[in-house]
Amino acid sequence: MCADLERIPRTLLVSERSSFQNQKNQLSAHVGQHHFNYKVSVLLPECGSAPPLLDAALNGFSSFYLIRNLPVYMLLDQDFLQTAVHQGSVYGLSFGCRVDEDPCVALMPNGRLVLSLDKDSFELLGFERKKYRFTKRATSRYVVSVNFSDSSMTPGGRGYQRLLTGLKTHLPLVVDFLVSHHPGGTTALQPLLSRYDWSEHRPSVSTRCLANLPCPLLTSDLQSCDPHSVLDWLGAVDADVSCENSSSSFLSTMVCPEPKTTASSALNMSVSGFLNPHEIHHLIQELRSYLDQSQLASWVALTVHGFTDSPVSWAGDERSVLWSGNTFYSLLLFKDDTYQLHLATGAHHTCPP
Amino acid sequence: MDEALVQTVIPPHLSKVLGVESQSRSKAEAFTQAFLENSVPWNTRQDLKAMLTHKAVILNYARTTQDQDKRSRKKAKGLNAHQKRAMKVFHIRPEHQRYELFLPLHNLWRQYIIDLCGGLKASCNPQFVQQKLVKADFHGAIITVVRSKCPSYVGTTGILVQEFKHVFKIITKDDKLKVIPKRNSVFAVEINGFVSHIYGNRFEQRAGERSAKKFKVRGTIDL
Repeated sequence: MCADLERIPRTLLVSERSSFQNQKNQLSAHVGQHHFNYKVSVLLPECGSAPPLLDAALNGFSSFYLIRNLPVYMLLDQDFLQTAVHQGSVYGLSFGCRVDEDPCVALMPNGRLVLSLDKDSFELLGFERKKYRFTKRATSRYVVSVNFSDSSMTPGGRGYQRLLTGLKTHLPLVVDFLVSHHPGGTTALQPLLSRYDWSEHRPSVSTRCLANLPCPLLTSDLQSCDPHSVLDWLGAVDADVSCENSSSSFLSTMVCPEPKTTASSALNMSVSGFLNPHEIHHLIQELRSYLDQSQLASWVALTVHGFTDSPVSWAGDERSVLWSGNTFYSLLLFKDDTYQLHLATGAHHTCPP
Repeated sequence: MDEALVQTVIPPHLSKVLGVESQSRSKAEAFTQAFLENSVPWNTRQDLKAMLTHKAVILNYARTTQDQDKRSRKKAKGLNAHQKRAMKVFHIRPEHQRYELFLPLHNLWRQYIIDLCGGLKASCNPQFVQQKLVKADFHGAIITVVRSKCPSYVGTTGILVQEFKHVFKIITKDDKLKVIPKRNSVFAVEINGFVSHIYGNRFEQRAGERSAKKFKVRGTIDL
């Protein structure tokens, strides 16, 4: 039985290598399309203390808001749509709802609202769903996807009225909602914040200094080091798992990929919360300038994790956590302005673009 | 017969339907006189006056009792489905498809249900009410689709005008006659604060047959 499980692809890893000099590089598109980011962790080898600019960038992530017990029909409120969705970009995700059990809600900056519902909730709501592409049975989750820029979804349109009645009377969904707005400030989110209980949170930053860390020799050539083992090692460092593989320890058999060197010191910084892709982009620019200035380091690694309970993955495509689905991407920056980008997702999702 | 009845003016809406014109009193009298003179046969012309006075005229032959018995022994055969469809017996014409026309039917139905359940008080046992409702007739009830496998049916509300084996025909407040299949839907009926849910999958019998049939518990009520 184990052999059968090995044959079925459980995860999908897409690796891309390009340079910042190349006009057609798609890094900004990839970063921008990963809407819901939970955690960003940065690994700086040969670095003893946090560089001030990087520190400022990490601490400069904007705050986000948690609204308690928000009825979902309020997301269709006309004032909210006018101020937040059509002007600026709003990111919203239901909090504390498990994507395989409870109804989950995601609001994307391009004006799309995605409701991931179970069978009973969908039968009560009375709004048509998108066809689910991946399983033939397709009876597990029902995804209702709505685009507010459609003509039928403008306030007063037929589809809008139907969804509003559905969410108000037939299926009164109430969720805790994480929301953030790109140009920032509470004014754009005022229609929601003024009516419900909300709290403001800042992303939490943590820094760890590691001594004598075995690091693989990474070059910008993709063939030098197998991406799977590099990602395994990066994850081990981030999770503080020892890579010594000593015979006396049975906890971990992870090893640092060969060829390797030992870095006298390394810095692991992470920030977690409800993070904005625009600020991640800014952080990548800061990392590039740090790498240009630094003499010792030849590469820098950045990993961005998505939410476990998000109903969407890349660019608002559907996602199901039942098929091993944590989406994340790892970016390896090198001194010569090249980068390697590894995008990971479950095998039954749409391939990242 | 009252002479006044024969000589009344035709009501205006009927005159349009029949396509005749109402004439003035003097003209009508003259016409009637002339018509009767022409209709009376020749040989009795001398006795016109006698003819025109009121006498009971037997117009139809009285049948003998034997023929009548033979005729009534033939039973009335019903129409088969083909004939029913051809005659459109169950077809509701568009001019009759109005919500207000069926509101009195709804009130009748409420009375019927309240009487059936022996007065629906707040203290009534819901089990008892359910048992009565299972055998009851729902023509005239206001039903709402609460859940359905097809999302576009959810939320439709109206008065039930016809119940067939597999569908309900309801008329909504917008005067639209909607046909809702019973399968894979759950309907809600509300009387005096009691809300009953009807699972359409289990309800696929003709209204008349349902009152005699026993319901068995089999399978799940999941849609």
